[in-house]
Amino acid sequence: MSDLSLIRNFSIIAHIDHGKSTLADRFIQNCEGLSNREMSAQVLDSMDIERERGITIKAQSVTLNYTANDGETYQLNFIDTPGHVDFTYEVSRSLAACEGALLVVDAAQGVEAQSVANCYTALEMDLEVMPVLNKIDLPQAEPERVSEEIEDIIGIDATDAVQCSAKSGFGIDEVLERLVKTIPAPVGNIDGPLQALIIDSWFDNYLGVVSLIRVKHGLIKKGDKIYIKSTGRHHLVDAVGIFTPKRVVTKELKAGEVGFICATIKDIHGAPVGDTITHLKTPDVDALPGFQKVKPQVYAGVFPVSGDDFEDFRDALEKLSLNDASLFYEPESSDALGFGFRCGFLGMLHMEIIQERLEREYNLDLITTAPTVVYQIVKNNGEVMEVDSPSKLPDTGSIQEMREPIVRANILVPQEYLGNVITLCVDRRGVQVEMNFMANQVSLTYDLPMAEVVMDFFDRLKSVSKGFASLDFNFERFEEAALVRLDVLVNSERVDALAVIMHKDLVRTRGRLLCEKMKELIPRQMFDVAIQAAMGNQVIARTTVKALRKNVTAKCYGGDISRKKKLLQKQKDGKKRMKQVGNVEIPQDAFMAVLKLDS
Amino acid sequence: MNAVNLPPLSLYIHVPWCVKKCPYCDFNSHTFDELPEAKYLEQLKQDFIGQTQFIQKRELKSIFFGGGTPSLMSAEFFIKLIKFLKENIVFSSDIEITLEANPGTFEADKFAGFHESGINRLSLGVQSFQDSFLNTLGRIHSADDAIAAIEQAKKIGFDNFNIDLMFGLPKQKIKDALFDLKQAVQLNPTHLSWYQLTIEQNTHFYKHPPKLPKDDLIFDMQQQGQQYIADSGFNQYEISAYSKTKLESQHNLNYWSFGDYIGIGAGAHGKVTVNHEIIRTRRTRQPNNYIEQPLQLLSEPVVKEDLLFEGLMNGFRLKQGINWSVLEQYAFQDITQVKKRLKAFEQKGLILSDDKRVWLSEKGYLFLDDILGELV
Repeated sequence: MSDLSLIRNFSIIAHIDHGKSTLADRFIQNCEGLSNREMSAQVLDSMDIERERGITIKAQSVTLNYTANDGETYQLNFIDTPGHVDFTYEVSRSLAACEGALLVVDAAQGVEAQSVANCYTALEMDLEVMPVLNKIDLPQAEPERVSEEIEDIIGIDATDAVQCSAKSGFGIDEVLERLVKTIPAPVGNIDGPLQALIIDSWFDNYLGVVSLIRVKHGLIKKGDKIYIKSTGRHHLVDAVGIFTPKRVVTKELKAGEVGFICATIKDIHGAPVGDTITHLKTPDVDALPGFQKVKPQVYAGVFPVSGDDFEDFRDALEKLSLNDASLFYEPESSDALGFGFRCGFLGMLHMEIIQERLEREYNLDLITTAPTVVYQIVKNNGEVMEVDSPSKLPDTGSIQEMREPIVRANILVPQEYLGNVITLCVDRRGVQVEMNFMANQVSLTYDLPMAEVVMDFFDRLKSVSKGFASLDFNFERFEEAALVRLDVLVNSERVDALAVIMHKDLVRTRGRLLCEKMKELIPRQMFDVAIQAAMGNQVIARTTVKALRKNVTAKCYGGDISRKKKLLQKQKDGKKRMKQVGNVEIPQDAFMAVLKLDS
Repeated sequence: MNAVNLPPLSLYIHVPWCVKKCPYCDFNSHTFDELPEAKYLEQLKQDFIGQTQFIQKRELKSIFFGGGTPSLMSAEFFIKLIKFLKENIVFSSDIEITLEANPGTFEADKFAGFHESGINRLSLGVQSFQDSFLNTLGRIHSADDAIAAIEQAKKIGFDNFNIDLMFGLPKQKIKDALFDLKQAVQLNPTHLSWYQLTIEQNTHFYKHPPKLPKDDLIFDMQQQGQQYIADSGFNQYEISAYSKTKLESQHNLNYWSFGDYIGIGAGAHGKVTVNHEIIRTRRTRQPNNYIEQPLQLLSEPVVKEDLLFEGLMNGFRLKQGINWSVLEQYAFQDITQVKKRLKAFEQKGLILSDDKRVWLSEKGYLFLDDILGELV
């Protein structure tokens, strides 16, 4: 194709259950990207599983040919976006490769906060946003009300928003027709020097590093010598191609197109996301505006239960980070837990996924400490330092000022749950910035300490609103706060891995609740286990896990031996996720106890 | 290997039938319409003949008839079986032959015949001397039946007998447990097995768990009961076993001292030493399969790494522990490593040792499962 006017690059912005995957599948089917035989339900979702296994892709693209009513055949490049709030940053990458986005809204449920945020990002990037009302066949669908809501909240015209049902297939052609009319064609110069944006890079066990790119100008083909702007290194292109969604090698990728390249690049750091690719012979081509580098939002210590596993653990982290540039790790040692790593994550979900993959795919037994956000400390000498671990907090004497990260949270909630949500925000030390009553939902904006939001705020929000409230948040600023470290002592020994940083006003209540929770979570042992919560030298709460008085099987004769041995083995396996701290066995749950305080 | 280095040998004989399955019992027991006594006797003989290669010139130290309820069988059954065994293996001069018996009226009538067969020790499954608890446990005898049966056994000449009692029963108070012990002591047994009710998998209680007394109450019950037992002239020599001086159960002692035993009967387990290896054997569990089908010995060697653990797992149950030399000899390996591992427990005050043997401290004795759980 030599005419850019027949190319459409777009993303879909949608809330998790609003039908993005089903809609994408319909597009593939309508454009015969896959034969009906190959078409299993929700192609993109089934690829999620492959991704989990580490053999394919993160952000994904599909190239489709659509013959429109005007008789022209358009090349549609759909660039997928991840759904969860932890991974919002990936959305902006996908959007950077597009000229437009479909805003897919559930015609029964209405607009949701994260979609709003993503919509704003798209509008800021000068993308054309085209509203689509999905699930129009549901009896409770209210297209007029939802259109009104889109106009109210996002401020785009939705009066004649196209209506469809991805599930039944109704209106899909209409969506595609509207798409080719509404979304502008890309602008670029095929004859100019190569300038391409790396949307994503991942490590494939067979192909090495694969990069998804959007060509802005020029063309790229197999055998080209390319030059990566930020690394200054050059590589030979092994293959270029597209996903249909099957991987198909093509002759070349031209200005306006989206596809993949494989070059002789060893690891993903050699093809940084957001970087610009050009040819070795034109190294002076301007770099495209990249993306903000993602910074981890929460940090936690991760330690192998058995010290012998440290080397395996380090290798596993190295391998995982090959495919996950957002995973940060550096060695950390703890008096209580020995050698491990301080790991940075995008959010709690990201942390859970990483821990699960490490345990499942690399067969490691790990203990993760309670996650913390990054605090800013101004020392007496004026030095500003960032602290991502309670144990790195300097002496109170040397601290002039402590600052905590504040996020701006946008919440959309049906009116009947407004009270609950406001109460929750106030409990979490929130300050209201704005409140607007829309057609059916209320749009709330709060400034909240990040520490209060990243942990379990989203779950709490869902539970106080029967699942209807939605949330989006972004780092706003650092703000001075009266913070203290709450230490936990187990049998009078300070356990560094149990310390948490929190607001001074909360420390008494939470200290008490924490002791109670720990008492529930630490199993009874051969001796009393005293648990104390302390602030500095001052003990603010204490409790005791009473000693177990005996643990011995009453009866054991000849025939029981093998069975008894199995039981003991089982008991031992059950202790896998426990860490011996001093004499005391502490289970993984107890390290996370601070997240489970229902105050 | 010559016979000198083989451990002592016992024989376990399983009788897999019961009138009724008790809700706490996870042993291999089955109800029946008619006892196939003659057929079972024949198969037991075949079973034993099939395992004579394990004897390796040793004398038989003890025989234990367990179940199920072996006392369901007729005296004739035991007379014939013991006679047969005597023809095929040398009995040691002080052989102990124990029969597990239900203390009911039906059994008491047969005690004279049992005695005549050569059985010289009874183990009576009384469990409690209070009918309400017997009822909870699903036992078919009453407290009065038990007392009458024991009197009868004594009259016939069974002067060496054990009474089995349980504690930690639903709704049981300390005074109830002490009542049972007192009643037992009054009957003047040579041996007491006093053990805590535990809920095992594959039992009625596991599926429908009864409400048990609190851990702390059970612990106090155990302390007071043990004190009473000691005051009454019994020595504790194992976690749940107490005896008059020198009247320990020789058969069970052999299990706990890492001795060998041949197992015959449906679902019977054995442990035998053959050519520097220890082999665990078992027979099919279903009585009908056992009787009707050609006998098959299921056996597997214990892997070397497990041998010392199994030795300790048994030996630690005994108050006196286990001799280093026994471990070294019968597990066929150097014990320097295991000695090192045990040091950590010694430092915690759970284990004691000298040049000769290793045993649990008073505290360690209460936490055997924790110790084994770390060693496994």
